Amino acid sequence: MASLRRRTRQRLILWVQYAVFVGIVALVAFTADWGTLRESFFRLDIARDMFPEVITVNLRNTVLYTLLAFVFGLVLGLILALMRLSKVAPYRWVATAYIELFRGLPALLVLFAVGYGIPTAFPNREIPGGVYGSVALGLGLTAAAYMSETIRAGIQAVPRGQMEAARTLGMSPARAMRTIVLPQAFRIVIPPLTNEIILLTKDSSLVFVLGVTASQIELTKFGTDTLNARVNSTPILVAGLCYLIITLPLSQLVRRLEIRYNKAR
Amino acid sequence: MLRTTSRRTGILVIAAALALTATACAKKDTSGTTASGVTTIQQGKLTTCTHLPYAPFQSRDASGKVVGFDVDLLDLVAKKLGVQQTIVDTPFEGIKSGQDLKNGKCDIAAAGMTITPERQQVIDFSDPYFDATQALLVKKGAPYKSLADLRGKRIGAQAATTGLEYAKKNAAANGYEIVEYKDLATEQQALATGQIVGAVNDLPVWTEYLKENPGKFEVAAQFDTGEQYGLGLKKGGNPELLKAVNEALAEAKADGSYDKIYARWIGTAPAK
Repeated sequence: MASLRRRTRQRLILWVQYAVFVGIVALVAFTADWGTLRESFFRLDIARDMFPEVITVNLRNTVLYTLLAFVFGLVLGLILALMRLSKVAPYRWVATAYIELFRGLPALLVLFAVGYGIPTAFPNREIPGGVYGSVALGLGLTAAAYMSETIRAGIQAVPRGQMEAARTLGMSPARAMRTIVLPQAFRIVIPPLTNEIILLTKDSSLVFVLGVTASQIELTKFGTDTLNARVNSTPILVAGLCYLIITLPLSQLVRRLEIRYNKAR
Repeated sequence: MLRTTSRRTGILVIAAALALTATACAKKDTSGTTASGVTTIQQGKLTTCTHLPYAPFQSRDASGKVVGFDVDLLDLVAKKLGVQQTIVDTPFEGIKSGQDLKNGKCDIAAAGMTITPERQQVIDFSDPYFDATQALLVKKGAPYKSLADLRGKRIGAQAATTGLEYAKKNAAANGYEIVEYKDLATEQQALATGQIVGAVNDLPVWTEYLKENPGKFEVAAQFDTGEQYGLGLKKGGNPELLKAVNEALAEAKADGSYDKIYARWIGTAPAK
C-alpha cells in the first residue's frame, strides 16, 4: 500500500510539473497580442529587403570586429597571464592592477575612451586601421583582462611535474613554458575562450559609439537603422537571428570540445 | 489524509502563483483626465519623450534640470492643461519610429523633430512650431565653404536625423563619406578631435554649440531644406490632446510668449 502510494505520488508530482509548464505556455500564448506582434515583428517583405546586405556587409563586420578584438585580447591576455605568474614583483603588480581595472569597467566606456580619448591625447596621430583598429583596441582591452585570468588558471592547472620534468631534461624555464606548459594549458582553456568569443560577438554591437560609415555598420545598428527607415520591428528579429548564426555553432563547438577534453582525461 | 491535504495545498499554491503572474504583469492604469477633458498616461502629468542632449531645444543645465526651447513650449501646454510636465530621456529611434508613443511611454514627443511624410505615417504631428535649417559645422579656418569642397573627406551626421538624410542624398554628387554618430555629443567630439572635417546638424544646435565654444568652430554652409519641427503624438491616439497642443501653440504665438521663448533660447527674433 505504502509503495503504491509513493508511486502515485511521484506520478502526480510529475503531472503537476507538466501542468505548470503547459499552464505558463498557454498563459503567455493567450495573453499576447499576436496580431500586432505579427504586424510589428514578422513582416516578410521587410525581412527580405534586408538581404543580402545583412549578411555580406553587417554579419561580416560583426564577425570581423569580434575576431579583431579576440586576437588582440588573446595576445595581450597571454602576456598579462605570464606577467601575473612572473617572479618579478612589479610585473605582477602591473598585471593585477590592469586586470582589476578593465574587468571593472563597462566595455562601452572603454570603447568611448579609445575612440575619443586617444585622438584628444595625440591629435596628430591616429589608431592604425581606423574604426577597425579602435574596435580591436577598445573591446580587446577588456577581453584581455578576462582572458588573462582564464589563461592563468589554465597554466596553473597543468601539473607542476610537467615543468619540473622539462627542467630536468635541460630545458630553460622559458622553453619549458613555451613548448611543454602552454600547449597543455591552451587545451584546457579552449572552451572558456570560445565562450569569450561569444561574449565579444555580442559586445561588437557597441561599435556604434565610435561613429561608423555605411560600409562599417554591424548587425545591431543595421537592425535599428532599418527599424527607423521602415518603422517596423522586423529588422530587430532578423539581426537577432543573424547573431545566432554565429553563436549557436560556437556553443556547439564548446560542448564538443568539453566532451573531448573530459574523455581525454 | 494529512498527505492529501498538503498535496492539495501544493497544487493550490501553484495555481495561485500562476494566477498571480497573470494579473501582476498587467500594466497598471495610471492615466487620468484633466479638467479640460484631456487624458494623459499619468494622472496630473504630461509625460514628454525627448532625446538628450539637443541644446538649445533640450539639454541638462548645470543643476541637472532639463531645460530648453521645447521644454518651455511644453510647459505652456502643460499649464493650459493644468498638469505638470515630466520628461523621459529615450533614444531618438524610439521617438521617431512612433514606438514610444504607441507603447504609452509618453503622451507627447518634443525632440526637435522634423515633420516628414514617413514619420507622419506613425505619428500625429502638431502644427509646426519651428522652422529649422540644416548647417555644416567645420573647424575655424577650414577651407570648406560648401558640400562640394568636401570631396574625398569624411563628414559626420547624427543617426536617424533629417540632417543625415540630407547628407546622404547629396553624398554621391559631392563625393564625401558620411560617418554616423549615435548622438549630438559624439558628433561634436568627433569634429573636435579631427575624426571628421565637417558635421551636419540643425543650425540652432550649432549656434548654441558656438556660444559654448567660441572661436573654435564656424558654420561653413547653411542648407534651407524647408524643414519644420512638430510635436509628436500617438497616431490616432489622443485627438483631444492634439487639439489642446495646437491651441496652446496658437495662443503662445498670439500673446507673445512664443517670441519670448524664442528670444531666450534661439536669440534672434523669429522670422514672421
